[in-house]
Amino acid sequence: MSRTVITLGPRQLGLEEPMYFRVQTEGDRVCGLEVLAGQVHRGMEHLTLKRNFYQNITLLERLCSLCSNSHPSTFCTALEELAGMVIPPRAEYLRAVADEIKRIASHLFNCAVVAHIVGEHTLFRRVMELREIVQQSKETIYGNRMDLAANCIGGVRYDPDAGAIDYLKNQLERLKSPLEELYRVFEDAAVLRAATEGVGVLTREQANEFGVVGPVARAAGIDYDVRKKSPYGAYDRLSFQVAIEGAGDVRARALVRLAEARQAVSLIEQCLDQLPNGPVALASFPEVPAGEVIAKSEAPRGELIYYLKTDGTDLPVRLKWRVPSYPNWAALGEMLKGEPVSRIPLIVNSIDPCISCTDR
Amino acid sequence: MHEVEARVELVLAGALGARQVVAWRRDVKGVASGWCRLGEPEQVLPAARALAGLGARLSMVSASLVPAAPNATGREVAYHFDLDGTTLTLTLELPLQGARVPSLTPVYRNADWQEREFRELYDIEVLGHPNPGRLFVDRSLEPALFERLIPYSTFINGASGEKLWRQVQAAQQENPS
Repeated sequence: MSRTVITLGPRQLGLEEPMYFRVQTEGDRVCGLEVLAGQVHRGMEHLTLKRNFYQNITLLERLCSLCSNSHPSTFCTALEELAGMVIPPRAEYLRAVADEIKRIASHLFNCAVVAHIVGEHTLFRRVMELREIVQQSKETIYGNRMDLAANCIGGVRYDPDAGAIDYLKNQLERLKSPLEELYRVFEDAAVLRAATEGVGVLTREQANEFGVVGPVARAAGIDYDVRKKSPYGAYDRLSFQVAIEGAGDVRARALVRLAEARQAVSLIEQCLDQLPNGPVALASFPEVPAGEVIAKSEAPRGELIYYLKTDGTDLPVRLKWRVPSYPNWAALGEMLKGEPVSRIPLIVNSIDPCISCTDR
Repeated sequence: MHEVEARVELVLAGALGARQVVAWRRDVKGVASGWCRLGEPEQVLPAARALAGLGARLSMVSASLVPAAPNATGREVAYHFDLDGTTLTLTLELPLQGARVPSLTPVYRNADWQEREFRELYDIEVLGHPNPGRLFVDRSLEPALFERLIPYSTFINGASGEKLWRQVQAAQQENPS
């Protein structure tokens, strides 16, 4: 059979951001993939070296939109560790609240896109309407629907009163039953099963080989979640099970995300129930000594890792981060191998790629 | 010493033929990180193979200038490995010019992009990389462009604008039309 090379861009693949692909096909089957990155490379790691620690919080929150809270919170964690700062317990819980709200919104967005690609437009609308509850909650609590501006060095920048906490609890209550139903739909609905089951498989061995992270790894049976393996913030006091599936296909990835969205509701509730009184940030910020440090968090797409090197000034010598989409891109070639060309958009979106994060 | 830390030091000593000094730290939650500087760039490949044998995952690779630009006299590459929640960082010290490291991609497939990225942004040659094409930056540009070119933000900032305006004024006074 003759081999053909086709180039696919973001519009063909229904992506929200630009990434291009050179796809080798035999007949209508994919036999090779090259990812062409760099369309939105902004030199952001270089830019962070021109800004002081405070300014970098603002810059990093604009790295991407769906996981925007994970970047400043992980950066602040790195700085605090290096400076020997222990943030107030109330701030730890409030950081977890912000992270989990973003996780629900991010996961629902991806599940909506999956529904859209398989032609389930009514389901797409239902998922986006459900997500709107989360968006409204963010707007009410933080004043913004995407970039929450919740973090500062030494704590957080928001302090919800009893009214705000009651409002948030009511919003969470509105999510519970629809999230259960949504999980059942993705698990059992015949049309969705037919479109997603056994599609775009990444085996556990391949997942280990490529070092994939987050829901892509957990869908392949890898029991790894930074919140459990390297606890940070309030997570060592919160109860949850790591969501695991074994099939490694598009369906398993969607089910992991929906299970995590349900868990996130519970995690926020636990935070609000356990929320201690006290300050939300440290009153002062000590000088950051020269040194190097690692900080990690479980962003919606998986392990986010930051490396910070300092020289005693208020500018970083090096600030490097590796986003979860980064290793997941490389494994895409394995997921697509042998699949019909028509399934490429669904499989690409099933890794929930963040191109803005990847290119930086 | 905890079990993971002891096993890491054992396999590194076995792979490199001598005991390596790993500085272990624990954060406020008790999560461990280990920091080790390797003597020679070539040592990172056997070290990576030994860590792969322990089930370590290559989590990230960070290249940097030392000290900070524009006073840099050398380069460093830090390889961050994950061992079930514990992070081990192996750092290589490299010269500013002619820096070379062996590729870890034959051991860790996810090293592929990391190595291509620091190759083009930090001008560090990666020996034995199976797919050494450009990743982010157009192939027409020389490596390490951020070390040589003026960023747009600097080009358009207020200080440059005022300086440029003074030069224009001075030129006009010297050569009135």
